Amino acid sequence: MGRDFCAAYTKLADDLVAQLWTAATAGRGRVAGLALVAVGGYGRKELCPTSDLDMVLLHGGRSDRQVADAVAEQLWYPLWDLGLKLGHAVRTVREAVALAESHLETATSMLDVRPLAGGALTTELRQRAALQWRRHQPRWLNELHRSVLDRHARSDEVAFLLEPDLKEGRGGLRDVHALQWAGITGTENTSGPGAAADRSALTRLERQSLAEAAGVLLDARVELQRRTAKASSRLLLQEQDAVAHALGDADADVLMARVAQAGRTVAWISDEAWSRMTPATLEDAGKRPDRHPPGAGLLWRNGMVELAADADVPGDPGLALRAAAAAAEAGSRIGRECLERLGADAPDLGQPWPAEALRSFVRLLDAGRPAVAVMEALDQKGILVRQIPEWVAVRSRPQRNAYHRFTVDRHLCETAAHASERVVRVRRPDLLLVGALLHDIGKGFVPALGADHTEAGIVVVERLGQRMGFPPDDIATLVAMVRHHLLLADVATRRDLTDPATVTAVADAVGDPDLLALLHMLTEADSIATGPTAWSPWKSGLIDQLVTRVATNLAGGRPEDADEDFPTTDHLTLVGATEAGQITVRAGDGSLVVVAADRPGLFCRVAGVLTLHSLEVLAARAWSSPDGVAVEDFTVTPMFSGEPSWSRVEDDLRRAVAGRLSLESRVSERARQYGRNRGGGAATAHPSRTVIEIDNLASATATVVEVRTPDGIGVLYRITRALGSLDLDIRSAQVSTLGHEVVDTFYVVDSCGGQITDSAFAQEIRAEVLAELARA
Amino acid sequence: MKLITAIIKPFKLDDVKEALRELNVAGMTVSEVQGFGRQRGHTEVYRGTEYKVDFVPKIKVELVTDDADAQRVVDAVVAAARTDKIGDGKVWMVAVDQVVRVRTGEMGHDAL
Repeated sequence: MGRDFCAAYTKLADDLVAQLWTAATAGRGRVAGLALVAVGGYGRKELCPTSDLDMVLLHGGRSDRQVADAVAEQLWYPLWDLGLKLGHAVRTVREAVALAESHLETATSMLDVRPLAGGALTTELRQRAALQWRRHQPRWLNELHRSVLDRHARSDEVAFLLEPDLKEGRGGLRDVHALQWAGITGTENTSGPGAAADRSALTRLERQSLAEAAGVLLDARVELQRRTAKASSRLLLQEQDAVAHALGDADADVLMARVAQAGRTVAWISDEAWSRMTPATLEDAGKRPDRHPPGAGLLWRNGMVELAADADVPGDPGLALRAAAAAAEAGSRIGRECLERLGADAPDLGQPWPAEALRSFVRLLDAGRPAVAVMEALDQKGILVRQIPEWVAVRSRPQRNAYHRFTVDRHLCETAAHASERVVRVRRPDLLLVGALLHDIGKGFVPALGADHTEAGIVVVERLGQRMGFPPDDIATLVAMVRHHLLLADVATRRDLTDPATVTAVADAVGDPDLLALLHMLTEADSIATGPTAWSPWKSGLIDQLVTRVATNLAGGRPEDADEDFPTTDHLTLVGATEAGQITVRAGDGSLVVVAADRPGLFCRVAGVLTLHSLEVLAARAWSSPDGVAVEDFTVTPMFSGEPSWSRVEDDLRRAVAGRLSLESRVSERARQYGRNRGGGAATAHPSRTVIEIDNLASATATVVEVRTPDGIGVLYRITRALGSLDLDIRSAQVSTLGHEVVDTFYVVDSCGGQITDSAFAQEIRAEVLAELARA
Repeated sequence: MKLITAIIKPFKLDDVKEALRELNVAGMTVSEVQGFGRQRGHTEVYRGTEYKVDFVPKIKVELVTDDADAQRVVDAVVAAARTDKIGDGKVWMVAVDQVVRVRTGEMGHDAL
């Protein structure tokens, strides 16, 4: 496993190279002046299954060149013919050092020089390379740090991705190497991760943690490359089960949790070490935190929070949170010594928390983005779980799908950070911040404390709220926030907002305008912190609409139905202008209106044509006049950038409505081309099945059919085809995309215009929709 | 019918042309291209920075032949282009569905 493999493989390579060297130099003159060295990963003895063998053949200069060339050929060709990849070069020591002078990557590869064959030149190279590194150390350190930051900006975090890059990602093996190189001051070679890290940059404990974390990543990388025989270090979803099995993990979830934890440790230690080694590059000119005193027992040093001489760590429970709050508010960090002592000696807060501790906690969360890094520090030293034991359950807990970008704990911190930007819009900022931090904590307690994360969360927050010392009313509010944290988003994207029953249901559940405001801001913060696909202007608009209507309702007002009447006068004009048997199409500006003779299946045909033209349906409404003319209004957005050719859309619509277009074959063909998942990359570790809900309570006039299914081309077409084939009349539709899943909600009535009350018929609807989707 | 593509060292073009002429291959298309393989464009005695990848000028020769002749053509090209050094290139073969002679409209084997 891991390191053992690397050592063994390196030994194998060394033996082979030694043999080739003997053969290449046998019977030649002037070979005493040559030397062969390993550099880079090969020099570090860290050969993974598909790593390059990086070597340099050293020679003494012009007179040696011919021999060197001849020997080189006899070394490289056999290795190439064996299918190995080489990083090969033939140089004098001076040439090598000169190259290292100007190029960071070459300079760092020279730090890992290891002799393979030959003599004195190796020593000369090592000495001169180390000398050169030391001489330019300040410049190299800066460049190295910058390259680390660049890489972080380019690649995503090992701790959070569904398919992390174990080498290049933030918190990956390259970060470990960078720390090793930064720590080199003498001539000793490294023999393992963290072994030669500079004393002043990392503590012994940190070096140990780093080595362990690097070991986890290396193990996974070696197994991955063994399986795929490719040079990539990206732990693809399809490989995770096999790698987990090979490493003795029960399943991929266990493996990825370990990898996430390792990535997090490396990222954290890397951040800390760099901030100590290059304080100058990190200090932001504008930030001078020495202004406000940080609080009792604390002081500022080097821009960071440190313990004052009179600090009593075991006897002052609120000290840790006070330090954290001060650091976050100043956009800075807690100093290393302070962190170490707090980690060692900070007590738990007791029950209930001292009032000052709760205040500090809220101040910490209120600080916003800087609080995320400070909370990471508290968690790394075990302080966070000491003071909030329930945090253990969500620590580094991956969510394993592309919709949720972060692990659960990081998602909670991110939500709190986004919530801090919204505190002006609620009456109780403290409840918003604490509620944001705890809203998903139930995810760590399923199924122990509840069937889903909302139920479990309620139990945990009830308990925590008491411990934190909130009065009963506040605890009730926090619990309500957890209970309803998904309510606004779900209703806004899956229900007809103009239906009074929708608004009433939410108003009844929420009951109070202050809670409504809290939920509104929590919903925004939660969505933004979930991932890039979880928030959009469309979704935001829907939620704003819902909140406005509910607020009006709660204030006793009646909903304004003026501007939302469907069909509008424009629509009715179009109806009047359409002769019998004709169809009218009005397209543009994100909406498409079709007027035609009413029939079941009209909706589905329009949906099909829209799919063919890469138009995504966000919502739709339909109405029919007493004499059988239907108006359907679709809100659409192009799937790829650029406007579609509306005239072509119109042509296809006419043909489709007239029954002259084979939608089935065309949509299927398109679905085949694009694959079931739109876009590349894995969607989720645990793909879901289709779920269909049929509900008569959400509306007084229609039945709500809600279909949750993996997203794909033609899904809307298929579902509406099923509904149409059962003669169901679609009044309105909402399409909500959750990552790679989609929730399509339809308000339907049967052919008599009433709700579907026959449960047998409801079963038929389910069966038909499932059958259509299975056909995709 | 098969499309045979060969990437070769530029100075080997005459040798390859000669070898193909001996096989009575009627025509070919030649283009100037750039590329690299496993050695990233570096010579055996490489003196630059390890991390540089260099595009090296090559010649691409393409021709379409009958299935029966394809293997013989490949063997001939490989033999003619070889110098036993890195950078010699590659030859590959792909199935062709249709060939048409523009002037006459002949198709398939008649168009070769």
